[in-house]
Amino acid sequence: MTSARAPALWLLVLPALGLALFFLHPLATVLWRSVTDAQGAFTAGNYLRLFDDPGLPRAALRSLAIGIATTACCVPLGLALAMALHRSRLPGKAFIRGALLLPMLAPSLVLGLGLVCLLGRNGLVHRLTGATTDIYGFWGLLIANTLYGLPQVVIIVSAALARTPARHYDAAASMGATPWRQFLDVTLPRLRFALLAAAFLVFTETLTDFGSAVVVGGNYRVLAMEIYSEVVGQLDFGMGATLGVVLLAPALLSVWLARIARRRQDSGDAMPGRMLLPAKHAWRDAALGALSLVALLPMVAVVATVAYVSVVKLWPYDRTLTLANYTSGMPDGYGPVATSLGMSFLAACAGSVLVFALAAGLRRAPRGVARPMQFLASLPAAVPGMVLGLGYVLAFDRGVLSGWFYGGIAIVAFCSLYHYHAQAFLAMQTGMRQVPDALDDAVAVCGGGTGHVLRDAVMPFVAPAAISTFFYLFMRSMVTLSGVIFLVTPDLGLASVTVMRLDENGFLAQAAAYAMCVVLAGALALGAMRLILHVLKERRHVA
Amino acid sequence: MHLRIDDIAKSWDGHTVLDAVSFAARENEFVCLLGPSGCGKTTLLRIVAGLTAPDAGRITLAGRDITTLPARERRMGLVFQAYSLFPDMTAAANIGYPMRLRREPPAKIAARCSELLERVGLGGLGSRFPDELSGGQQQRVALARALATEPAMLLLDEPLSALDPAIRGQLRSEIRLLQRTLGIPTIMVTHDQEEALAMADTIVCMNHGRIEQIGTPRDLYERPRSRFVAEFVGRANLLSTAFVRDTMPGFLERRPPGGEATYEFCLRPEDVLVQSDAHGEAVVEDFVFLGNLARVTVAWRGRRLLAELRGNSTLARGEAVSVDALRGAWVCA
Repeated sequence: MTSARAPALWLLVLPALGLALFFLHPLATVLWRSVTDAQGAFTAGNYLRLFDDPGLPRAALRSLAIGIATTACCVPLGLALAMALHRSRLPGKAFIRGALLLPMLAPSLVLGLGLVCLLGRNGLVHRLTGATTDIYGFWGLLIANTLYGLPQVVIIVSAALARTPARHYDAAASMGATPWRQFLDVTLPRLRFALLAAAFLVFTETLTDFGSAVVVGGNYRVLAMEIYSEVVGQLDFGMGATLGVVLLAPALLSVWLARIARRRQDSGDAMPGRMLLPAKHAWRDAALGALSLVALLPMVAVVATVAYVSVVKLWPYDRTLTLANYTSGMPDGYGPVATSLGMSFLAACAGSVLVFALAAGLRRAPRGVARPMQFLASLPAAVPGMVLGLGYVLAFDRGVLSGWFYGGIAIVAFCSLYHYHAQAFLAMQTGMRQVPDALDDAVAVCGGGTGHVLRDAVMPFVAPAAISTFFYLFMRSMVTLSGVIFLVTPDLGLASVTVMRLDENGFLAQAAAYAMCVVLAGALALGAMRLILHVLKERRHVA
Repeated sequence: MHLRIDDIAKSWDGHTVLDAVSFAARENEFVCLLGPSGCGKTTLLRIVAGLTAPDAGRITLAGRDITTLPARERRMGLVFQAYSLFPDMTAAANIGYPMRLRREPPAKIAARCSELLERVGLGGLGSRFPDELSGGQQQRVALARALATEPAMLLLDEPLSALDPAIRGQLRSEIRLLQRTLGIPTIMVTHDQEEALAMADTIVCMNHGRIEQIGTPRDLYERPRSRFVAEFVGRANLLSTAFVRDTMPGFLERRPPGGEATYEFCLRPEDVLVQSDAHGEAVVEDFVFLGNLARVTVAWRGRRLLAELRGNSTLARGEAVSVDALRGAWVCA
């Protein structure tokens, strides 16, 4: 090929290097450490030791149980919420959308924190009613994980619902299908793969979640907690790595199944056609409304409790309102928040540039390059944050890169970036698909090169996706805990880790205040993103 | 010859798209590449533009071999079917784009832009963005942009097929007029035979990566060489040698020598004479009134024939008629 239509493979160099160095390398290190002993000799000993301690198989079973139970709760509730948003005439949809944002703005442990403050042994309910409440354990984990997983299910299912054109419902109705039959025959079949993908996502996230486990798990210890105590408590990295591999297996499996599901997914109609206006149906709206309330009330209550706790004097004994928690009593002041902001900004900047280059480079890449790169770029979705973080510790705490990276803000940023690489890449690639081929050719014929293609043909279409990717990485990095838990040092505190430490030490009010700062930063970032996208939409001339 | 294409071949993943294609275009000539989708016409145009590299063959432009020259150095103006304007540039900025890439002085670019806008009938609309222009206007901007750098050739890739029929007809004659005024050699790809007949000096009719026939529109219509051309360009009744021998043996005289199945007789619908005749052997099966003309299907000696009559003919379904043929051409089956 002799033109700009030719693949710009040089764009792939940096992203590929990044993936190799900051993703494959740590991952391989974890695998390597799980099959070698302290002297570096091959051994299966680590895996055999798994069964020595009866606590470990038990923790695995518990993780599995929580994963299945959470999926079973999340998917029907998420479907109900998505139906309420897209197939009902319920008022207050903005409220539903707003409430669903809450878990995405907060570290997962904030939901746990709120639950503990609300329903813990000394929680608000106990204080107000005198009833005995104890949320620690299975039920606490189930509620916290369900609340955390719900928005993601709603997003996936909503996207599929929005793709179903109104004419299918018109056709069904004209043939005499009742609303219920329309749901069974038109809606559900088109949601199959979305529901499957959502189920896999929730299952994996729950299985590997650390934030809720550490706050509300109590004595109900799951795998993520075991890894944490092996590594942080006993400094047994070999065992930590082995447990990490155990955690990796089901996550890999479910992401692989989700990929198959997505490949078979009905991509919807090219022409979405007329917007669907749901018919009047009081019973349907009442049922969906009730389910939405069941799902969303706890969400709002939990976050509201955190907000409330953050402004009381001495939780739970002296509930005088005060702002003191925000101004004093913080061990490091707002340093960790600033560090988190800096780290997230770095992750977002580096991430959007790398992912943009990757997606742009893959646009015209030959199959032999595109397939493996595509796979590699999406693989991080299958790797639990803790496993990646452990890999970073093992890979970067010694060796040539250690002095340069370890203990620095950059390593945390990269860990966070590669943890969320798959989703960022997917969003960017979806944006890239909107660039018409004819524009590339137009640039080439007019005498432009790859640089001109990127600036004049690609950028106008991809700008919204790029901005969304930037803010996605920023917000995720602000709240990530599992990936960075092993990477913080006494000199390098992060906001989400500080919340955990304050909670561990019983400073619930300060933990709540800190958590609210993170939520606020996330909300501000979200607001900024909406504003920028809005301005862009007004100014842009892309349909 | 201005442009020569010699034995160009191209295949994708083992599938042959172009099979040793050759033709030439004169100075000032308007050539249409006509064929069904998948016949390789667009690939051929992209090879001429330099957007796709051929596997084999040679392209010469004004005596110079340009086979390996990158697109940006070929000085070709290209207009696409749609979506080829930069969405966040105004019409004027779009037209000025190739000149800006060539770092021409801004004053010169501005002057040239307004001249081109006038020329394509969009004077005063230079500050509009593509999404504020109609489809026809967008294609005019694309045309102006293709002409901006005074290209050696104009290449049009189905420029009208995304437009409404009414605008299509109007733009068709405007493009042709502009091409004649500027005297710029042009190749247009189209699958619309009517468009090719209306616009081209020369039609290159393609099928399955090969050229079926090259000729003037009249050549292709009146003297198609193959069954494919006969059916693709206009409508045709294709009759077997045996049927012609039985019904109108007069036409056998001009049949080229060859086996019974080598040739077929192409009879255009307007050359079929149908007359109301109570003793006629044929029966009207269908009569479609189209205003200025009427399309009649008659059953005659075990065959159906399509005939086109003037619109004021009054035949009814089931009516007995007599059939005769004016002229026709023998084509390779």
